[in-house]
Amino acid sequence: MAINLVKGQTIDLRKNDKGEEFDLSTVTVGLGWDVRQKKNEGGFFGKLFGGDKKEEEYDLDAVAMLLDSNGKVANLGRTVQTRDGRAMGLYESDVVFFNSMKHPSGHIWLTGDNRTGAGDGDDEQIIIKLDQLDQRYDKILFMVTIYQGRTNNQHFGMIENAFIRAVDRNGKEIARFSLSGDSTYNGMCSMTFAEIYRKDGAWKFRALGNPHQSDSFIDELKKLTYS
Amino acid sequence: MAINLQKGQRIDIGLSNISVGLGWEPNDGTSAAFDLDASAFMIDDNRLIPEEGFFVFYGNQDSPDTALHHTGDDPTGGNSDGGDDETIMVDLTKVDPRVKEILFVVTIHDAISRRQNFGQVRDSYIRIVDNATSQEIAKYELGEDFSIETGVEFGRLYVKEGKWKFEASGKGYKEDLAFFLSKYFKGQIIK
Repeated sequence: MAINLVKGQTIDLRKNDKGEEFDLSTVTVGLGWDVRQKKNEGGFFGKLFGGDKKEEEYDLDAVAMLLDSNGKVANLGRTVQTRDGRAMGLYESDVVFFNSMKHPSGHIWLTGDNRTGAGDGDDEQIIIKLDQLDQRYDKILFMVTIYQGRTNNQHFGMIENAFIRAVDRNGKEIARFSLSGDSTYNGMCSMTFAEIYRKDGAWKFRALGNPHQSDSFIDELKKLTYS
Repeated sequence: MAINLQKGQRIDIGLSNISVGLGWEPNDGTSAAFDLDASAFMIDDNRLIPEEGFFVFYGNQDSPDTALHHTGDDPTGGNSDGGDDETIMVDLTKVDPRVKEILFVVTIHDAISRRQNFGQVRDSYIRIVDNATSQEIAKYELGEDFSIETGVEFGRLYVKEGKWKFEASGKGYKEDLAFFLSKYFKGQIIK
């Protein structure tokens, strides 16, 4: 049970509250979450057989979509065959995600796929060289999804200490947006976390936190394509 | 013609469609914008909102019973020149039976960090209008009546013997929206 009174704050990415400049040549968007201790459901025998303190694993994935001035994802890449013969779409597209971790421009990439949330701090990072990004990109939308959340009955209402943050080249935190286990996110398996967009010749950051029930970013992507 | 209410004055409302309008003029100075917010609490017999959705504000524009609709946040007062900048439309025929009272408040967003109060805001008012006749039932001039405050409890609609009545309260506070919310909601408030 929580009500959020925070308004969709926009932050001018060039300066912080004290008017200090951020170095935006590189911005890192970090996603972090904690593994939640499963409640001990083993009872007496469970304890006897070492059944307590099971940790529930969540696999959160960070996704970035690059939008043009019409607010659309123009390049959907191509479908490639994996070694085990599966077809994999959106390869080398304007979507940066676990199956296509580096944008063809080389200026935005995902550092790796963390599958459990183990470890403190950022569990997944997307690095963006904002000053190198082609003029045709007007906005970068960041999403986070719970991989197979629907199948595993996992949702944001259960995850602890999930946050997204943006950090400048020198490691100075520009903005941070946190989400703790909150009943309003019950049943929600993905979230549009934040966007970075051009305005009046500068980049701005806006925390959104819009939850969706789907556990895939494809449903959101479908609304943002030309076809 | 408007009735300028005395505090505690009650009005019978034999009406179903009304709107609560908040208006102010943008800041023409160089300091921060004035961001006034109209909000409504639909409360039950325990004087609490039955569910989170019964708190209608910039972050939740429709109550679950569809009785209340908030037209959306105006962060500067620039929506209308001289008219309402934020409106909460009320259809009393749709109110959830658990809801016994609807309270309306006005607050200044970030008033503390921006060092603002109603006295600095030009031509700010809150009013309640009968949509059938477009007649103003009650109106407060915020800048005159609450110059040093940052939050106002405007008034409440309540049911008595099956009829909705309006009571103007006009209580000013040096508080923010979270203060009002904490009275009618016992869950976590993220500020």
